[in-house]
Amino acid sequence: MTPLQILTLVSGCLLCFLVGAFGLLILWKIYVGDIDLSRLISEPTGDASISRFQLLVFTFVIAFSLFLVIVASNPPSLPVIPGTILTLLGISGSSYLVSKGIQFSDPAGVIDRSTGVVISPVKTIVRYGQTQQFTVEVPRKPGSVVKWQVFAGYGTIDDKGLYTAPATAPAGLAAGAQAHATIQVTSSEFPDASDLAVVTLS
Amino acid sequence: MNLLLQALRFEFLGFLVGLAGIVIVQLLTGKIDSRYLLYGTVTGRKVNDGRYFSPERVQLLVFTLGAALYYLTEVMTTARSGMVPEFPQSWLVVMTGSNAIYLGGKTYARWFANNKLK
Repeated sequence: MTPLQILTLVSGCLLCFLVGAFGLLILWKIYVGDIDLSRLISEPTGDASISRFQLLVFTFVIAFSLFLVIVASNPPSLPVIPGTILTLLGISGSSYLVSKGIQFSDPAGVIDRSTGVVISPVKTIVRYGQTQQFTVEVPRKPGSVVKWQVFAGYGTIDDKGLYTAPATAPAGLAAGAQAHATIQVTSSEFPDASDLAVVTLS
Repeated sequence: MNLLLQALRFEFLGFLVGLAGIVIVQLLTGKIDSRYLLYGTVTGRKVNDGRYFSPERVQLLVFTLGAALYYLTEVMTTARSGMVPEFPQSWLVVMTGSNAIYLGGKTYARWFANNKLK
């Protein structure tokens, strides 16, 4: 082997290793959540966008198609991309841009959605010894982890938001008076964001 | 060198399939937020009042997935020729029309629906 061939081989091995390591790093970071894809097709308002979805689908399809064609040819070579494919991507991209133009012409369309959490129901009556299921919505990150607690008052709540009222009225409660409990839910992703609900025990 | 080319092919294939797999799984499990994908918003109303089920988005979704599947099957059968297959003109017309309908619906919801339907 000539020194040039050795250099080519070493460079190829290095390049192959770097490309593989880079790809793995990206996939790993997505998998562990360091690269957050949760808003991949979402608008600032939080609603998913069909034009973003279309662009995503066509990007994957064209990328996968090009890959298949490139590796099928021997030796691998860049193929000629037909004008109709470029037109299709142009239609998709233009549609996306125009839809964003329409959306962003309205000030409400560029307002980022709240990082708050919303508990439901906010007020409820629970009989002693009974349970009440609370739900929470985190608009910025649906399905994210939240922490439930009985902020004040009586009863317990588990980590799924199921509140259990005490079996009997608390001692010392005046006749005819009602006991209350305040439920607090806090987002783990956004610790400053919390919401309250009030339970009246009867 | 052939071994290196093979390794690179596997790396790219692994990356593409891995990335597509992660996106599909996260879409299906809700980790990628796809709420209201098929809903539009009428400008000038409160968020929940202004949101409406949008047929123009449904047809765009159907034609997008249809075009994607059609083209993938074309590529699967012709990839060995080393040529990227053409996307049929008729499908281009369909996709143009579908996107135009979607944009028309979005335009109507942005500027006209609130005055007419209030």
